[in-house]
Amino acid sequence: MRDNEIDELLRQAAQARLDVDPALLDRVAKSIGSSLHPVRPLPPAWILTGGLILICLAVALAGAARSGLYGIQKLSVLERVVIFPALGILIWLGASASVSELIPGSRRRTAPASLLGAGSFAMLAVFAVLFRDYRTDHFVSQGVVCLTAGLLHAIPAALVSWLLLRRGFAVNPVAAGLVVGTLAALAGVTMLELHCANFEAPHVMLWHTAVMPVSAAVGALLAWAALLRPRSGAHRRSAPE
Amino acid sequence: MCLNSDLEMLMARYQQGDLTAATALIQRLSPQLHRFFVVQFASRVDADDLLQETWLRIHEVRHTYRAGEPVLPWFYAIARHLRVDHYRKALRTAAREERLEELPEVAAALPAGSGRTPDLEALLAHLPESQREVIEMLKIAGMSLEEVARATSSSVGSVKQKAHRAYERLRERLSGMGLNTGRTGGRP
Repeated sequence: MRDNEIDELLRQAAQARLDVDPALLDRVAKSIGSSLHPVRPLPPAWILTGGLILICLAVALAGAARSGLYGIQKLSVLERVVIFPALGILIWLGASASVSELIPGSRRRTAPASLLGAGSFAMLAVFAVLFRDYRTDHFVSQGVVCLTAGLLHAIPAALVSWLLLRRGFAVNPVAAGLVVGTLAALAGVTMLELHCANFEAPHVMLWHTAVMPVSAAVGALLAWAALLRPRSGAHRRSAPE
Repeated sequence: MCLNSDLEMLMARYQQGDLTAATALIQRLSPQLHRFFVVQFASRVDADDLLQETWLRIHEVRHTYRAGEPVLPWFYAIARHLRVDHYRKALRTAAREERLEELPEVAAALPAGSGRTPDLEALLAHLPESQREVIEMLKIAGMSLEEVARATSSSVGSVKQKAHRAYERLRERLSGMGLNTGRTGGRP
């Protein structure tokens, strides 16, 4: 049996109308009509993406400026030219993916899990190539400080991003949480690269990069927890305003 | 293409608070959304519930549709979300329920209630869920590969692969049933 024969079979099977109970459609129309009012559509995707990028950069710059820009001062020109554009590209991808996750039927350029995996791997590779000091002085104590600082900066980035995207609707809340968590983490990693002057390769590769999976996991878990919560106010929200 | 632009226009008017446009959308899209649910669940009762729930959700989030974007993937993405949600809830409920030794008559009678439908549901029943929904959107709803990719939050390549695998399975099944050229699986 050829493909066009299967096509024909499906076409004929689909031709038979599947009637929907008219009373059901009437009920739906009445229910919608009782709360129908004009709504303001979401802004274009590029505005939302631009907004998210600005939020990440603002959080990273403000955090690093407050704690001291020691990292960027100590970085060589080559290191600056490689690290910051790489972070910039990842932030752009993360922002674009976050917007896609919050608008149903959007084109998905990057899957959230791929973004997290590829992003973490890309930063690991960049750090591995640029930093060749393999000492591990105060590895855990300094590492925990950096991880905590990165995550603490990811929190405001995630909250403000969520505020910007609050009118969106996530058809897959866990994926949306994962991608917003990854984006927020990138704000934290950018802050660390601007601030942290510890260029020991194991420190940067483990503790700076770890901000991404940890923040993404927290985002996904929070979204999952929200998903389990009953939607008690769902129908009330569609009531006339 | 003309149908899509028509739907886009209706959607824009619905966002502006036009009840006629909302009613027209409900009348035009409900049969195919209903079929989408029936193909997945093979139960009209579940499909009716899901259709109603889908329209309420669509109404709630209608501001997320942006003019100029394809309409069908937007509708189907929301419908698919509710279907997955419903499936999860059903699994949780089933896990708590005690199973009877014999199924009651009424449960067996449900598919028979959909006797007016063609054999499409039976034809697709043995496909995995992800392949079934891709075939339903591509061949029954008439969406393009790009639109199905948008509706299912996946890539065009992945949609093509699922459709290809579904066709392989359908071919095997239909050949096994002895169906050849010219014969149809659906009732006229």
